[in-house]
Amino acid sequence: MRDKPRILIVDDDDDFVEAVAFVLEANGFTVSRGRDGAEGIRLAKMERPDLILMDIMMRERTEGFFTIHEIRRDPALTSVPIFVLSAFCTRLPDFEIPSSGGWLSHDMFFAKPVDTGQLLEKIRQRLGQTA
Amino acid sequence: MSQPGVPETVLVIDDDYAIRLSCGKILAKMGLRAETFEDGARGLDGVATAKPDMVIVDLKMPGISGMEVITRVHEIDPQIVIVVITGYATIDTAVQAMKCGAYDFLPKPFSPDELRLIVNRGLERRRLAMESMRHEIEQTVLKRRFVTFVSHQLRTPLVAIHQYLDVLRHLDQTSDTAARRQEWLDRCLARIDELQNLIADWLTLARVEGGTLFKERVKVDLNQVIREILKTYQQMAEAENVLLEASLPDGLFVWGDRSCMSVLFDNLITNAIKYNKPGGSVTVSGTESRGEVVITVADTGVGIPEECRPFLFEEFFRVKNDGLKKTAGTGLGLPICRKIVSEMGGTIHVESEAGAGSTFRVRLPAWREPEGADGSQNHAGQAANIDCR
Ligand SMILES: Nc1ncnc2c1ncn2[C@@H]1O[C@H](COP(=O)(O)OP(=O)(O)O)[C@@H](O)[C@H]1O
Ligand SMILES: [Mg+2]
Repeated sequence: MRDKPRILIVDDDDDFVEAVAFVLEANGFTVSRGRDGAEGIRLAKMERPDLILMDIMMRERTEGFFTIHEIRRDPALTSVPIFVLSAFCTRLPDFEIPSSGGWLSHDMFFAKPVDTGQLLEKIRQRLGQTA
Repeated sequence: MSQPGVPETVLVIDDDYAIRLSCGKILAKMGLRAETFEDGARGLDGVATAKPDMVIVDLKMPGISGMEVITRVHEIDPQIVIVVITGYATIDTAVQAMKCGAYDFLPKPFSPDELRLIVNRGLERRRLAMESMRHEIEQTVLKRRFVTFVSHQLRTPLVAIHQYLDVLRHLDQTSDTAARRQEWLDRCLARIDELQNLIADWLTLARVEGGTLFKERVKVDLNQVIREILKTYQQMAEAENVLLEASLPDGLFVWGDRSCMSVLFDNLITNAIKYNKPGGSVTVSGTESRGEVVITVADTGVGIPEECRPFLFEEFFRVKNDGLKKTAGTGLGLPICRKIVSEMGGTIHVESEAGAGSTFRVRLPAWREPEGADGSQNHAGQAANIDCR
């Protein structure tokens, strides 16, 4: 068991990542960052994070969908919780993640900008921590 | 889908131990991840967990039949490429298997070369299928909702600013945080500038599209327009250690709107400076012949990778140059250029070599002496009321 839960943020906006990572780190999480889908997949496989925060629109396309799909193809990552953070739309159904895309019922959607208090609460809940 | 650095996975299901062993070895040598199973049931479990790109299955096995394996694999993921192994006597069954959704077949006995050929062909097909699926989804998600996409682009800097300000609001006022506070405020200001530029460029694009930017068509001297732009960016170029050069004959005249011509060459020249390298140069040259003015803006900069060139003139497209310094921009400059040029009945093309530089070539119809009018008078600008559209 690692002492600090590890969170992977996959997002191409450095500023957004910096602000969110600051809050997470201040609250006892270890944070790693991937700037695009390929980097996200590599880090997910290498670091086996406890939870992944995933942007959808990266490199001017909906790369997040495919990144989730690809991450789920790794047997060790089939059930890692993935929270989607996106400014693309404000509700989950708008996404229409392809059914083969690996969306699980315990995954969550957050509209950007995110309420970091709420995000923290949901992350802790998901990881079975008590605040 | 194959990702750089992630090997593709091929599953072999065959009750013949020798075949499992040799296929496993050959596939591993090809740089693929290979897993082998001795019967259909175990094989299907393996498919469910390993999510392979390709399955090679023997049609004649004890237990679940190969034919059923094909159907069940495709229930798990219809995009998995299936190749069946058959004996020579059972070509008919191979045909049947292909009707069930198998992609190809390997008649026993087969050579390592035959296996490699079929695996490569199958994986290529899989890549194409995944690429087109990806493309299709992107098309529907993005192109059909272009307005959504634009608002996303506009929202992105706002999100970053909001997120910073939100954290700053809760940040204790200590000397530790002072530097961070300053840095984040500076980043917020930079993102506000980004948003301003986005809105300005977006507006310009909309105006060019709507035709309202073309206030007037007059005789414009591109030599003069371009020299003014070069003068404006002399300092910026010096700061980047880039040499600006021009080789323009006197009087390169086109019919156009002066401000549009400025916008056009401003974009091309700033790009040539921005995407340059220290010690590099930008050369603007122009010629006129056979009723056509040709202006080239050539640079010795970072160049544009070939696979990016088809998208260069699309809204918001920007090359992601990993490892190179980040350059601010909107991805709207070239779309604006393309619209202006086509509005004037011209063309714009790019030639580039990644790492070595790019040349943008603009062709525009030259201004012509109106028929029956006295040339010397026209020079005074009275030709402005002649409609050349
Ligand atoms: N002269 C050039 N050399 C290398 N790359 C270029 C050049 N001009 C444009 N590009 C590439 O094309 C992209 C789109 O250019 P543009 O539409 O002007 O948008 P922006 O400059 O705001 O990014 C740029 O982001 C850059 O990657
Ligand atoms: Mg530009």
